[in-house]
Amino acid sequence: MSTAGTGSTIELSWGLRRPERQLLLLILLAIALGFLMMLGSGRAAGRALSGADLLPFLTYGASLLLLHGLWVLARFRGDQVLPALVALLAGLGLLAQYRMGLLTGAEASHAARLALPAGVLLMGAIAVVGAEGRYGRLVAGRYAIWGWAGLSVLLLAVLLLTGHRFRGGVYAAGFVTPSELLKVTMVLFVAGFIDQQVKALKDLGTGLPIPPWRALLPLAGLWAALTVLLLIQRDLGMLIILSTALIAMLALGTGRLAYLIYGATAAAALGYLLLRLFAHGQGRLRAWQAPFEDPTGGSWQILQGLSGMFAGGLWGEGFGRGNPEYTPIAQSDFIYAVLGEELGFAGCVLVVALFLVLILRGLEIAYRTRSSFGSLLAAGLTTVIAVQTFLNIGGVTKSIPLTGVTLPFVSHGGSSLLTAFASVGLLLAISAGEPAKGRSRTHAPAKTAPSGRPRRGAPQPPPQRR
Amino acid sequence: MNLLNALVESAAWPTLRAGLHVGFFLVLLYFLKRLFDLRGATGLKHLPRAKRSLALPLVLLVGVLGSVLAYQATWQLTGLFRPQFVAFMQSHDRRQFNPAHRIQRGRILDHRGEVLAASVDHRGQVVRVYPSGPAFAHVVGYSHPRFGAAGIEALANVHLNGGAPEDLKDWGELGRQLVTQAKQPRGRDLMLTVDGELQRLAVDLLGPRPGAVVLLRPSDGAIRVLASTPAYDPNRISAALFRGADPALPLLNRATQGLYPPGSTYKVITAAQALNAGFSGTLYCPADGYTTSARYRKIRDQAYYSAREAGRSWGGYGNLDLATALAESSNVFFAQLGVQHGHDAFRRTAEQLQIGRKISLYEGPFGSWAMATGRVPSIHDSDRYGLAQISIGQGAILVTPAHMALITAAVANRGVAMRPRLVASDPPQALARFLPEGSANRLAKMMRKVVTDGTGRGIDVPGLAIAGKTGTAQNPQGPAHSWFIGFAPAERPALAVAVLVEHAGFGSKAAAPIARDLFLRARELGELP
Repeated sequence: MSTAGTGSTIELSWGLRRPERQLLLLILLAIALGFLMMLGSGRAAGRALSGADLLPFLTYGASLLLLHGLWVLARFRGDQVLPALVALLAGLGLLAQYRMGLLTGAEASHAARLALPAGVLLMGAIAVVGAEGRYGRLVAGRYAIWGWAGLSVLLLAVLLLTGHRFRGGVYAAGFVTPSELLKVTMVLFVAGFIDQQVKALKDLGTGLPIPPWRALLPLAGLWAALTVLLLIQRDLGMLIILSTALIAMLALGTGRLAYLIYGATAAAALGYLLLRLFAHGQGRLRAWQAPFEDPTGGSWQILQGLSGMFAGGLWGEGFGRGNPEYTPIAQSDFIYAVLGEELGFAGCVLVVALFLVLILRGLEIAYRTRSSFGSLLAAGLTTVIAVQTFLNIGGVTKSIPLTGVTLPFVSHGGSSLLTAFASVGLLLAISAGEPAKGRSRTHAPAKTAPSGRPRRGAPQPPPQRR
Repeated sequence: MNLLNALVESAAWPTLRAGLHVGFFLVLLYFLKRLFDLRGATGLKHLPRAKRSLALPLVLLVGVLGSVLAYQATWQLTGLFRPQFVAFMQSHDRRQFNPAHRIQRGRILDHRGEVLAASVDHRGQVVRVYPSGPAFAHVVGYSHPRFGAAGIEALANVHLNGGAPEDLKDWGELGRQLVTQAKQPRGRDLMLTVDGELQRLAVDLLGPRPGAVVLLRPSDGAIRVLASTPAYDPNRISAALFRGADPALPLLNRATQGLYPPGSTYKVITAAQALNAGFSGTLYCPADGYTTSARYRKIRDQAYYSAREAGRSWGGYGNLDLATALAESSNVFFAQLGVQHGHDAFRRTAEQLQIGRKISLYEGPFGSWAMATGRVPSIHDSDRYGLAQISIGQGAILVTPAHMALITAAVANRGVAMRPRLVASDPPQALARFLPEGSANRLAKMMRKVVTDGTGRGIDVPGLAIAGKTGTAQNPQGPAHSWFIGFAPAERPALAVAVLVEHAGFGSKAAAPIARDLFLRARELGELP
């Protein structure tokens, strides 16, 4: 679609993206109200206000409007729900981080202020650049996927060699966590790998399903290396996220449920071994099972988080009125507790509902994408977001042991935020569909499918396999 | 900016802030509604239909995330149901807004509605006060931010904090507090069966002497008095109390945990055992005592010792029947009687009366409060002298005052022991039949004779038929313990009592008058007909 740069198509695009515009404006209104509430409470608590206090909100709003304009101009036809959901979650995160004093004052850094607008624009750029099936070039050729695998291992290795330990984890200079990038690079690799080997992987023999070892061997080797590297870093959360995505993609890509069963067995065995070997994990497990045995030690953080949520009650104190600073490092892993304290249980239900719609939308895109690589990639990226959300919220609410992962889009943390936005950018690129091959011009969707769906009898092109 | 500054400083800010809060939620709700309305316009029409159904992931996700939210609600909304969590917040949470700091714990009331424990605001903090001071320390216990909780305060913690709703009304109140975010959540009151007047009188009558009084209603097990002295003041808990430095053991609940030799009050049990075996007739009681073997010291009657002290000689009781022997509290008679019926009968009786077991007074969701009953020695079948001693309540058998009161109540209630209870809303419940109805009725008459003609005649008052048995229990720690067990009125018993005063000598001198004064006061209060 390169030649039709006329005003009419931009007009068409402006009309097509009306829902997104409406939703984004609603979000801006809600976040503006939240900001007023918070600034007012800060003022009431004796903090002087200045014009700079509005800066985070203004950059946030500007980046959203810029994003929308960019997509209209680029005649981007990808999903309009995902950007709205992500924008709202990030807006809530912005409020919570601002509230924790991360965006203003002495502790604030330029990186923290710029992470959110940069992430939004990165998402927009990836979506536009990757649209029309161009995202497939990420794994063009037979060996490109090994580039992603190599990059993942290299990232981990370099981090281990140069990073420093802090609170049990390994960080690069300035608390950047480049390993966050694995959530994209590893999913790219696995999606490409399964796409290439799908025939061999489907062949589980007759009768008792036996995994195709020959085809799986490279994958298994890489995963072993990854596991060791991640365990040395004590990044159990990342291991769980990536492994779940791997299993889900294997099962979805091949249609064989046996992979789920094997995956669950392997996970159980590994989990048991880890608990046996690592004191770190045992401590977390104890804090989870018996929090009142050591309330002022190992369980302090989780109990403080829960105390804050209890103080918040059903509706919360309102932004700026609680005391989330009593929960240690609340701004990253425990941001959900901050929301629970200031917005109450009602706010938590809302956040969970947003994530639920987000995940379902991601899966829908995966299910409705013709290219098998695109479908796998979308499923993988969605699984990563889903598992990460569950690990974080489950951990903070004491439903499961703490794994120390961030809440996507909401938590403070540049690497995590940028990676999450990049993932959604890819999802959006996939949702924009495949190159139309001359069909789409004559086949305006609104005309052919008044019911909102393609006609049942309409000829479907064969699925594209590269 | 200036506008905002002005707004915040104006009086309207609290209202405005609440309005912003509500508006924030409303806009977000409207966002969700628009998201749903626009599903047609955002339907990704350029993509093919889904190859698979989204139903399974939807169900799975709603299930998993729903469970997480439900579990979160058990902390965030109904955290009051978790006593350890509330305790953690009360001691470690610095959030001023946390409602845990302002819980108006329910009051603890006696059966008339008198306040035994209540929460009051004291300089912005909620503190617990106990108007009766030490009198109820062993029943109500204490609830202290630093030293935790004990007694009913601990066991009924969840109920008092407003957790554990029992009916629709409680749930409605809890829901109202949640929705309106009440900053002073109100707990629920708890009514006990005890009687503030009688309890304080019992403590006063015991005075500085260590001892215990248990008074209960035989017909339904409601405990009216559960006193133990010395006690501590729950209004003034300090670390010194728990160091165990005080030899008077103020933390020990002598009524339910103190083990004492029952002395002559045990003769009631020996008599019941004989009645069960069909004993009637008389036993010859020689004046200079009875023993099972020449190697052991003779067991003699009190009259023998008094006569010898006065330099007179005493002819002995001669042939005694059971009623007279109980009235005179003849050691010689009951020692012979016990040995006659043998070791097996003794063990059966102890088993039937549940001596040695634990009996629960209150079952809460976070623990129960059980009273000790006593300790039955294991004596060999060849040890007849040991059996003779036990039969008069000396030697190796030990009981608690609470259990003696329960056994007395069973005698008064035609042989059936009702489960003793402290919380008024617990339904009356039969615990066990301690003895056959016939034996119980005959025994009750004999106990009345103790007060009209026997060792207890010092407390016989006109107009109130008290029945009972005195006891004077020798012990290696010092002077004898003074015991009295009894009930009133004899024909239609309404109250049963056990009184123990440590090292106070004769039962008829120290313990029996306390029981009489309690009965008289109870009659004034309408507890006795």
